[in-house]
Amino acid sequence: MKFNIDDLPVLFPYPRIYPEQYAYMCDLKRTLDNGGHCVLEMPSGTGKTVSLLSLIVAFQQYYPEHRKLIYCSRTMSEIEKALAELKNLMKFRTEQLGYEEDFRGLGLTSRKNLCLHPSVKREKSGAVVDARCRSLTAGFVKEKKERGEDVDLCIYHENLDLLEPHNLIPPGVWTLDDTLQYGESQKQCPYFTVRRMMSFCNVIIYSYHYLLDPKIAERVSRELSKDCIVVFDEAHNIDNVCIESLSIDITEDSLRKAGRGAVNLERKIEEMKATDASKLQNEYAKLVEGLREADEARNEDAFMSNPALPDDLLKEAVPGNIRRAEHFVAFLKRFVEYLKTRMKVLHVISETPPSFLQHLKELTFIEKKPLRFCAERLTSLVRTLELTSIEDYQPLQEVATFATLCATYDKGFLLILEPFESESATVPNPILHLTCLDAAIAIKPVFERFSSVIITSGTISPLEMYPKMLDFTTVVQESYNMTLARRSFLPMIVTRGSDQGAISSGFQIRNDPSVVRNYGNLLVEFAKLTPDGIVVFFPSYLYMESIISMWQGMGTLDAVWKYKLILIETPDSQETSLALETYRHACSNGRGAVLLCVARGKVSEGIDFDHHYGRTVICIGVPFQYTESRILKARLEFLREQYRIRENDFLSFDAMRHAAQCLGRVLRGKDDYGVMVLADRRFQKKRSQLPKWINQALLDADTNLSVDQATSTAKKFLKTMSTPFPARLQDGISTWNEQQLAAHKEKVEDENIAMLQDGIQNGHTGSKGGAAGNEFDDEELDEAMMGIDA
Amino acid sequence: MSRVAQRGGASSANRAGDGEDICPVCKTSRYLNPNMRFLVNPECYHKMCESCVDRIFSHGPAQCPVAGCRRTLRKNKFRKQTFEDIQVEREVDIRRRVADVFNRREEDFDTLLDYNNYLNDVEDLTFNLIYKIDLEESEKKLESYRLDNEQSISQNKALASQESQSAEMRKMMEQEQAKLRREAARREEEQLRREREEGRQEVINKLAAGDGDASKIARESHSIVLKKSSARRAALERQQQLTNESNGATKTNFSIKGLKQKVEPEPEKPYDPFGGLSDARDSYVLQDDYDVDWLRSFKQDPRHNVGGYDFKEFYDRALCDAFSGLGVFIEDEMAGKELSSIAPGSVTAAAQAVTEGNTNEAKIIAEDVF
Repeated sequence: MKFNIDDLPVLFPYPRIYPEQYAYMCDLKRTLDNGGHCVLEMPSGTGKTVSLLSLIVAFQQYYPEHRKLIYCSRTMSEIEKALAELKNLMKFRTEQLGYEEDFRGLGLTSRKNLCLHPSVKREKSGAVVDARCRSLTAGFVKEKKERGEDVDLCIYHENLDLLEPHNLIPPGVWTLDDTLQYGESQKQCPYFTVRRMMSFCNVIIYSYHYLLDPKIAERVSRELSKDCIVVFDEAHNIDNVCIESLSIDITEDSLRKAGRGAVNLERKIEEMKATDASKLQNEYAKLVEGLREADEARNEDAFMSNPALPDDLLKEAVPGNIRRAEHFVAFLKRFVEYLKTRMKVLHVISETPPSFLQHLKELTFIEKKPLRFCAERLTSLVRTLELTSIEDYQPLQEVATFATLCATYDKGFLLILEPFESESATVPNPILHLTCLDAAIAIKPVFERFSSVIITSGTISPLEMYPKMLDFTTVVQESYNMTLARRSFLPMIVTRGSDQGAISSGFQIRNDPSVVRNYGNLLVEFAKLTPDGIVVFFPSYLYMESIISMWQGMGTLDAVWKYKLILIETPDSQETSLALETYRHACSNGRGAVLLCVARGKVSEGIDFDHHYGRTVICIGVPFQYTESRILKARLEFLREQYRIRENDFLSFDAMRHAAQCLGRVLRGKDDYGVMVLADRRFQKKRSQLPKWINQALLDADTNLSVDQATSTAKKFLKTMSTPFPARLQDGISTWNEQQLAAHKEKVEDENIAMLQDGIQNGHTGSKGGAAGNEFDDEELDEAMMGIDA
Repeated sequence: MSRVAQRGGASSANRAGDGEDICPVCKTSRYLNPNMRFLVNPECYHKMCESCVDRIFSHGPAQCPVAGCRRTLRKNKFRKQTFEDIQVEREVDIRRRVADVFNRREEDFDTLLDYNNYLNDVEDLTFNLIYKIDLEESEKKLESYRLDNEQSISQNKALASQESQSAEMRKMMEQEQAKLRREAARREEEQLRREREEGRQEVINKLAAGDGDASKIARESHSIVLKKSSARRAALERQQQLTNESNGATKTNFSIKGLKQKVEPEPEKPYDPFGGLSDARDSYVLQDDYDVDWLRSFKQDPRHNVGGYDFKEFYDRALCDAFSGLGVFIEDEMAGKELSSIAPGSVTAAAQAVTEGNTNEAKIIAEDVF
C-alpha cells in the first residue's frame, strides 16, 4: 500500500498496516527530520523490520541527500531476514513505481560465510579462514607475485581488480546467498566485493560488531559518512555487546604464547635485517613522522586490529623508545614478563589502570606513553615484516591491545586478577581480566560520528535506562502498544503454589522441597492443558540442574513425561541445536514437548517459538545475574558512581529485560497466541519494569495467582483462543487498510486542529490563564509520576 | 608458605624436566626442602638456593660457585628474583641504572620530535649496555652524561618523586571517597527500607484502630508513601547534583594532576649576602695573570703553591683595595656626621695610593700580604 507521512510518500509492501507500525514510522520520520538519536520499543512480531526499512528507504529515495542506512543486527539469521525483507520491499517499490531505482543493498558477514576459495572455505574455524584468506590476498603477497616469486593468490580476489572499482556488483538487493551465487558465477570474491562496495551502497546490513567493536570498526566502517542513518535492531543487549568488545581476558597460557610470539618476531626481525634491512629502515623513517602517515595503507588488508584510539594519538608520532623494531620487541617481552610476574599472586586483586601503570613503571620502567602505542606499533611491525601466519601472533596482539587499553583509559576500566577458577579450587589458574565497565566508551564514537542513531527492540524497557547507560540524549523515546482485536496472549504472575506457599527462586528458599514441588506442579499442570509446545526458562544452568534432579526424585518428570516429551538445553551448542530440532519435530507431530532452557542461554535470544512451537512460556524465578561475580560487582559500583544507577535498580532491570526477552519468544505475530507465566513472588513488584505491551495485557487480577488459579485462567483463555477468528474481524482494529489509515490520519489531523484552536483560545484568555494552566500541568505531571512509581 | 610450595609443585609438573626446582649448586630439590627459595646476585645472575647462599657467603665475599663464573659475590647483594626470565631481570636492573641518569621529561624539549629522538638514543644506549655492544664506550657515555647534567637529573628526580607521591595521595583519596560513597549508598538503601517498613506498620495500626474506611486508608497511605519517596528522591537528586558539582570541582582540582609540577618552583637564587648589591668590579677588569717580575719567584715557589694559595685571589684583593675608594666622597658623607679627623686622613692616604697608578699598586699591597 502507499501512503504519505507528512510530505513523504511511503510504499509499504503489504496491503494492510498495523496501527503501531504507522506510529513507529511517524516517530522515525520525526527523528530523521530533526537529526538525533532515538530509542523505540516495538512489540515483537509486529513487523518492526519492514516498517523500519520501508520508511528509511522511502526517506532515502525522496530526499536528495540519499543518506545511507546502516542496519545492524545481532545474528546471522536476523541479518538474512532483514535482507529478505529489504529485497521484498524493493521488488514492491519497482512494481509500484514502474521503474527500477538505482539502489544497492548488501549484507556483510564474516569471511567464513562468504568464502568461495575451494580449499579455504572448507576450514571449520573462522579464525583459520581469516588467516588463510589474508595470506592469499594481502597486498605484499601480490607484490611478491609480481616480482616473480612463487606464491599462491586467491583467484577470486584477483578478479576483483579487473573490474571497475565502483561497480563490482550490479545494483539491486543482494542477500547473502545471492552474493555467493553471483560471486561463483563471476568468479569474484563475495566478501571483498561487499567490503569494497560498502561506500557505494544505499543500505548495508551487518552485525553489531562491525560498528561497535573498535578493533573491526576501524577497518570496516571507517569510510562511512557522517550523515548515515544507523539502526541497531534487537538492541536490548547492546550495553553488554559494547562492554564485551572492549574487555580482554589474559591467561597464563596466552601469556606463554605471547612470549613465544615475541621471540618469533625477534627472529623474523633478525632475518629481515640480514636480507632486506631497507624495509625496516623505511618503517623507521615513517614512524618518525607519525602513525597516521605510516598507515596510509590501513585498508582491507590490514592484518591486525586496534582498540579504540583517540584521534590525537593517531596523529602523534610513535615514542622514540619503541621506534626501532628490536627495541619494540624487547619492550613487548618485558611487558609480557611483567604480566607473568603479576599472575603469580595468589590472592584476588582489583585495581584501576593508573595504579597498574604505576606499579608497572616501578618494576619495569615502562612508561604510559609507549604503552599506549603498543597495539598500533605491533600492527605496523607485522605489516613491515610481511608475516602471513597471523594466528601465531594472536595472543601477542591481545597483550598489545590490553596494554593500549590500560594506558588509554583511566576511568571506566578495571583490572581484576582471579588466581583461582572457583572458590574451592586449590590449583591456581589465574586469569587477568581487563573489564570495561562503561558501555558508553565503545559506543561513543558511533554517537559522535553519526547524526541519527536508532536503537530499537521488542523489549527495551525501561527506555530511560539506555540513554543513561550509554550516555547519549534522545530526541524521541517511545514505546508502542500492541493493538489487538482480541486478547491473544495471557501474561500471568504466579506467586504461590496450590498449597499457598510462596514460590521464588530467591537464594534462601530456592532449594526448599516445597518450592521445588510447587514449581513441579506448575509444570505438570501446564503440560496437561497446553496444546503443543511449552518453553520453560530457568535463571541458570546450575539451578536448572538441581531442580531437575529434585524433580526426578519427586516423580514430577514422570508426570510430565506422560503428556510431553522433555528436552533440555545445555551449554554445548550442538547438543542444544539437536534438542531444538527434536523439539520442533515433536511439536509438529502434534504431541508437543517441553523445552527446559536457561534465560541467558542461546535459546532465550534469537530463537523464535512461533505458533505451535510455543503456546506456553514459563519463567521460573527472576533471572538475576550471578551477583557474586567480581566483574559484575565492579560494574555495579561504576554505574552507581558514574551514572547514579542504583545496584538494585540495575540488577532488577537486567533481570527483567531477560525475562521479557524470554516471554517475547512465544509471541511472534498478531495471529499468534500464547500463555506467559512468570512464576516468582518477586515478579509482583517488578511488574512496572516489563515492556509496556506486556504490562498492558497483564490484568490486575492476574498478578497474584496461585498455581491452580493460574491453571483455570489459562484453561479459559485457551478455550477462547481455540474458536476460529477470521482475519476480517481484525480489520480496522489491529490492522488497517488504506481507507482506514486515511480515516485515522484525518482524525489525528482534526485533533491537531482542535488542539491548536484550543491553544489559540487559551492564549486569548491572557497571561493569568496561562499561569493557571502551568500549575495544572505540574500537578498532572506529579500524578503521572506517581502512576509510574506505582 | 605451603601454598607457595603447592604452587611450585604444580608449575614443575607443568614444565617437567625444566630443572626449575633444583638448586644448581647443591642439587637440593623442592621435594627435599619444601621451603626452598632461590636468590640471585645482580653481579652474575646465577641462581642458587638460600641455604647455599648462607653456606658460601656467610664469611664474607666469595667466588660464585657456578663453574666458569669467577666473580666475587657478597651476601648482602643477593635478592629474590622478580621475573621468571633472568634475562629480563638483568635488563631491568640495567634499565634502572639508565633511568636514574636519563630522566629527562617531555617538557624539557622544544618539540616532540626532539624528545622522541632523545628517547631513541637512550634506548640505543640501553640496548648496547644490555647486549654488551661497545660496553666500555656506553658506560663512559652514561657516566659523562651523569656528570654533565647532575643538576637537572636531581631536579627531575625530585619532580618524579613528587609526582608519584601526589599520585599516591590521589589514589588514597579516591579510595577513601569511594568508600564513603559506598557507605552512603548503603545507608540510603537502609533508610528507604526502614521508611517503607514504617509506612506499612502505620497502615496496619490505623486499620487496627478501626476508624474509617479500610480501602481509603490504604489508598491514602499509599499515596503518602509515594509522595514521600518521590519528594525524597527529588531531594536526593538535588543533593546528588550538588555533591556532583562539588565533586566536579574537586575533580578538576585533581585532574590538574599535581598543580605543583605545572607551576614550576622558581629556581632558587643563590643566597645573596649583599642583598642585591653587586660585587662586580666596575672600575677595572681582573686579568688571569699579571706578569710582574718580583712576583715570578713567588709563583714558582712550591711553598706558596702547595698550600692551595691562589694568586688570582691576591690580584683581586689588591685591585679591589686599590679601587674601592674611587667615587666615594667622604667629605660629603662626613658633612652630615661629626667624626674625628683621623678617619678622613687615612682615607685621603688611600686615595693617594690609588692615584699613584697601576704599576706599583701591586707592590704596595704585596708587602702587607707577605
